[in-house]
Amino acid sequence: MAPEPDERERREWEAEFEAAARRPLRTRLRYAFIHTYKPVLDDATYRSFDTMAEYRAWCTRELPDWLGYGPAV
Amino acid sequence: MAPRFEYAQAEEVRDSFARHGVRYLFIGKSGAILLGYPDTTQDADLFLEKSETNGAAAVAALRELGFDLTGPQADEIRRGKDFVQIRSGPFDLDLVFAPDGIETFDGAWQRRVEVEGFPVCHPDDIIRSKEAANRAKDRESLPRLRAFRDYWQRTRR
Repeated sequence: MAPEPDERERREWEAEFEAAARRPLRTRLRYAFIHTYKPVLDDATYRSFDTMAEYRAWCTRELPDWLGYGPAV
Repeated sequence: MAPRFEYAQAEEVRDSFARHGVRYLFIGKSGAILLGYPDTTQDADLFLEKSETNGAAAVAALRELGFDLTGPQADEIRRGKDFVQIRSGPFDLDLVFAPDGIETFDGAWQRRVEVEGFPVCHPDDIIRSKEAANRAKDRESLPRLRAFRDYWQRTRR
């Protein structure tokens, strides 16, 4: 689990939240959605899973660890 | 690779889904971003009510938006498979019919937040689903997302 933030980090986050709140939604979305190629995940145009458990198992089995889709240890 | 998801595309989803009467909520990081969370993501995640009527409405709306769905794929969405990932449209979309950590669509719908007409899961639900999914990438981002939830609750009008 990620460590809890210290006071300085909390203040930085608050400043980021306040800055975001001043921007209109249209602007926020313009900078929020990025596109980088994710190996395996982006190599099919369609995938479906009967259950979320099946999807999680597929992510753990098929995706590179560094993508972070596997279970937190 | 599809173009980026932009405000105009979010509007198209909102308007097309409304025209077809789709019951859905933005969830995941894309939902948090709509609420004001400053971060980046790659695709839009939609939580859809699991019913044949809603699935059929979603298929009609997705086709109207330009998603190229085959017959069997459309059938799967109508049936409401728990998770559907579509990369064959104008932007990347994940459809979730049974997100981890959220018991019912109706419950999430009652707790929803409307942002410029976009129906969005309450931040508590977004956090719950990420906690339950227990992915490495979510665990790292959860403290900041929780801090945002606290800020959002304190400052929302």
